[in-house]
Amino acid sequence: MTASGGPRRVVVTGMGVVTPIGTTVADFWASCRAGRSGVSALGGFPLEDLKILIAAQIKDFDHRARLKHFRRDKIIIHADRYSWFAAAAADEAIKQSGLEAPFKNPYRTACIIGSGAGGLVTFETAYRDLFIHNKRATHPLTLLRIIGSSAAAHVGIEYGVKGPTFATCSACSTAAHAIGLGRDYIRTGLVDLAIVGASESVINYGTMKAWQAMHVLSPEGCFPFAKKRNGTVLGEGAGILVLESEEHARARGAKVLAELCGFGMTSDSKDMVNPDVEGPSEAMRLALAEARLSPSDIDYVNAHGTATTINDRNETNAIKKVFGSHAGKLAISSTKSMHAHPLGAGGAIEAVASLKAMQENWVPPTIGLDEPDPECDLDYVPNVGRDRRVTYAMSNSFAFGGLNAVVVFGPPPA
Amino acid sequence: MDDVATKIIDILRKHMKEPRDDIGLNTALTDLKIESLDLAMIVFDIEDSFGIEIPYNANEEAADFKTVGSVVDRVRELMTGAGAAAAKA
Repeated sequence: MTASGGPRRVVVTGMGVVTPIGTTVADFWASCRAGRSGVSALGGFPLEDLKILIAAQIKDFDHRARLKHFRRDKIIIHADRYSWFAAAAADEAIKQSGLEAPFKNPYRTACIIGSGAGGLVTFETAYRDLFIHNKRATHPLTLLRIIGSSAAAHVGIEYGVKGPTFATCSACSTAAHAIGLGRDYIRTGLVDLAIVGASESVINYGTMKAWQAMHVLSPEGCFPFAKKRNGTVLGEGAGILVLESEEHARARGAKVLAELCGFGMTSDSKDMVNPDVEGPSEAMRLALAEARLSPSDIDYVNAHGTATTINDRNETNAIKKVFGSHAGKLAISSTKSMHAHPLGAGGAIEAVASLKAMQENWVPPTIGLDEPDPECDLDYVPNVGRDRRVTYAMSNSFAFGGLNAVVVFGPPPA
Repeated sequence: MDDVATKIIDILRKHMKEPRDDIGLNTALTDLKIESLDLAMIVFDIEDSFGIEIPYNANEEAADFKTVGSVVDRVRELMTGAGAAAAKA
């Protein structure tokens, strides 16, 4: 509680990403500025009979170089790739925040790093060893690599976090839920500091087959809101934010990047794959209400924008329902057009994109949007980003199962 | 040192954060700062390299793994029929 008795304000003091279009925030943002796509020919494992042959894979990530200074966590180098991504993004975010490890008040610190599926690549390798190669045993670290809370544990060990440490799991809303939970723990006074976000790395033969069987992957590319869109493209990566109570950040003289001023979460409670307008719009409305903002205060919406036929149309309708006449004045973009769909990690990477848009008053584009779907008739910042004052930004995450989570960022508290 | 010992020392070095050059048969594993997870990975590598199965439980004190020499002896034993029978017992 604050001195006035209300909930504490929560600020962002650090951010980090690992994405297919840049494995640091600076490189990621430079790619957004250049409108670069991270989608390329699928590779790195036998493609066998796969029909979808594209993905946005991270190809220039050297985990040994990025994590060689880790000391407290002795086995990060032997962890699953999804934990490497989380550790590297957390390292970048914590460095930016200026916090020193191990943290001074470890029990007043949370580490909530989600993952939609944990170490699926390790899983497949282990089962191939057992069932195809008739190996006698799996690698001894198989279990630890697979567990969906390993990324949170690795980061928590390295930085000395002794408060709430766990993963969230809600498919494409995983990261947004982690961010929202960390925020709530700070708001209500449970902790003063929270390392939050999500990580995902699941691109392998089995994952591609499973997604292919759902018939929601595009064979050509990720083109959100475009008439030609025909599915999403799998990506991978991680995004991490350092959240603090305003007092905690001020007391240590930290540079405050933004306020995390609103969070809303709902569930459609209706259908595993077909979203409705009500659930997402109610999540947006709740986030605005908590931030005490009116729809017209929002300048930029980083859309969930998966490039599936259903999502983009439904999200457009949900935005119209919440924003009314202001919907047409919003700058909306789907950065998935560039970094593709990193599943559980999406909400955190897109939160970083939203924060950068605010920092530079420049909104990233939706690339590949040559001809919009007539039913997607808002301003999606087609193909080229643009200068625009961004005081408040909203980032949407809508997951399979109808699980919706929305965050709203605003300027640092005066 | 024979091939078995050389191979095992190579495996130990592979799992050390700062590999040492002075590992001999009398070196105690505790001196190599090998912890329980490292030991599980070392056992896995040794089993894979020699095509044997080493009965080992991370919950128990492993008397067979006190020194490098004791590991080498145990592996040699398991590579013979007697060892294979003991492994089944």
